[in-house]
Amino acid sequence: MFSSVSRGEPSVTSLGDLAPLAAIFKKQVRHLIRYPGEFIFVLIIPYFLTAMVVAMGNSAGGASAVSNFSVRTGSKLNPFVFLIIGAGVWMISWMVLEGIGTSLRDEQIKGTLEQNFLAPINRFLLLVGTALAQIVITTILFATVIAATVLVLAPGSAAGLVWAFGILMVGLIPLFGIGFVFAALVVRFKEPYAFTQAANVLFAVVTGTFYTVNFLPFWVQVISSAIPQTFVIQDMRLVVESVNSLFGAVGTILVLFTMAVIYPFLGYSFFKLFEKRAKIHGDLSKF
Amino acid sequence: MELLEADSLAKSFTVKEGPVFRKSPKTVIALRDVSFKVKKGEVFGLLGPNGAGKTTTIKILCTLIAPTSGDAFVNGHSVTRAPQKARQDLGVMLTGDRTLYWKLTGRENLEYFSALYHMEKELAKKRIEQVLKLVGLEDRQNTLVENYSTGMRIRLSFGKAILHEAPVILLDEPTMSLDPQSALLIREVIQDLRRSGHAIVLTTHYMEEADQLSDRVAIIDQGKIIALAPPAALKESVMKSETIDIEARNIDPQVVEKLRGIDTITEVTSFVEDASSMKGMIKIHATDAKDAIPELLGVLVKGGVEISNVKVAEPTLEDVFISLTGRALRD
Repeated sequence: MFSSVSRGEPSVTSLGDLAPLAAIFKKQVRHLIRYPGEFIFVLIIPYFLTAMVVAMGNSAGGASAVSNFSVRTGSKLNPFVFLIIGAGVWMISWMVLEGIGTSLRDEQIKGTLEQNFLAPINRFLLLVGTALAQIVITTILFATVIAATVLVLAPGSAAGLVWAFGILMVGLIPLFGIGFVFAALVVRFKEPYAFTQAANVLFAVVTGTFYTVNFLPFWVQVISSAIPQTFVIQDMRLVVESVNSLFGAVGTILVLFTMAVIYPFLGYSFFKLFEKRAKIHGDLSKF
Repeated sequence: MELLEADSLAKSFTVKEGPVFRKSPKTVIALRDVSFKVKKGEVFGLLGPNGAGKTTTIKILCTLIAPTSGDAFVNGHSVTRAPQKARQDLGVMLTGDRTLYWKLTGRENLEYFSALYHMEKELAKKRIEQVLKLVGLEDRQNTLVENYSTGMRIRLSFGKAILHEAPVILLDEPTMSLDPQSALLIREVIQDLRRSGHAIVLTTHYMEEADQLSDRVAIIDQGKIIALAPPAALKESVMKSETIDIEARNIDPQVVEKLRGIDTITEVTSFVEDASSMKGMIKIHATDAKDAIPELLGVLVKGGVEISNVKVAEPTLEDVFISLTGRALRD
């Protein structure tokens, strides 16, 4: 029998999984850099969304729109800052969910998905690594959008940004779990945009992207509480508003940590279930 | 010593057919009871027409699809129970040139896949140099794959399959769409890989290639292995008859059928390459070619078939397939 040693082939090291992960990440970054248009255009979307909501608020609320907004939301934040946090997080979550689902679909259409599935690596690495580059770049871009807006419109709250981005990082982990579910649906149904876009618009409504979830009916709030973005948006606003205080957000941050442990596990299990089905039906090469 | 073993592999797919909302499931059997072993330093050819089950076999061996029953072992690792270990010991080239990242350079592609196969950086660097040289892409290694010709992409894809020097190498149509020079280069590398002790499974449409490269050939038809032996032994099995190849135009199937009436003729097949001129080839197996030729030419000429060339040939693997199935490989 061939052995790794006898034919001079390197064995898998204890950190063996890091090298493939880094390679997947590097490959994706190279691809993204070679198709830069999407990122440049996507940067302005949160501003458009926020401007649209501000315009709607002004047209409905007239001169008292801002004071009404403050009373109704209970937030002392500049409305534009309040809204851009929601829009920024929404765009990040959109990219995470779509990134994990569509990156596999892209590979499938290109014909390279099977090549990756032939490699002796954990599928988890492939899923995470493929989406990671896009997510890292996207997160940096939208975090910059949020940070720039806070620094210009609410410079006094700048210190709160550190906590806010910490919360965002924790919130990204359970999002990966939801992303795995979309990846599984893509492998099964091969229609990434049908699922991710419907879910993303739904998430915008139920997670309080442009308002607080308290306005929503109780049963909708139950759904909201299962989605990590709800807590990310709420807590980021809270810590930016209260600058250095995490006290109001501690309870929900614990919820986020719990989701960060459970959701990736559940999402990946769901993906494995569909992957097994794909192997039985030969779905990986069908597109 | 066997490095690869397929043990009673079977695969069936359920496909849904019919109009929307009234689709009914239909079971398609792709493989039935496929078993073979491939030794260290052996090239094993899988030969068969389109849809015979060659690619399904390869995809089960490389863990991309799960068998309905049976198992396969790569260097001792079960593809169903230890797929990750099996994959580490496999180098795989799937059909086509869309198996690479077109927005990466040739070198970047190999660097990427070397990492996926857990190769150490320094060793990978040296091996990538070797492979690029071996497949003749040294000068174009820093060019984006999208700017490669089809032949260059297929050579790079082949290079990817042999990159991590896996003990078992699966090559699905490795020379398809290649120019003769590139195909020759790949065949030479395959010979070298055999000499260095790799077990190689090769699927191909090209009879000559299977004949030239394979130590043993399995002929697969409708998901079943119908013959398995060294090419010479397979050809010997049809040696009792001679083969007459006739190139012609205006081939009329009814006239061709009349040839069966000639005593010394045992098998007749024809295939048309150009439907407008009915130009193609008639293959005839006869117990005595010399005796048969005058009579068969008479039948064909009388039937309006325009003959351009007649050749009495040594039997090929195609003839073996015809004698086993009564059909040509390209049917």
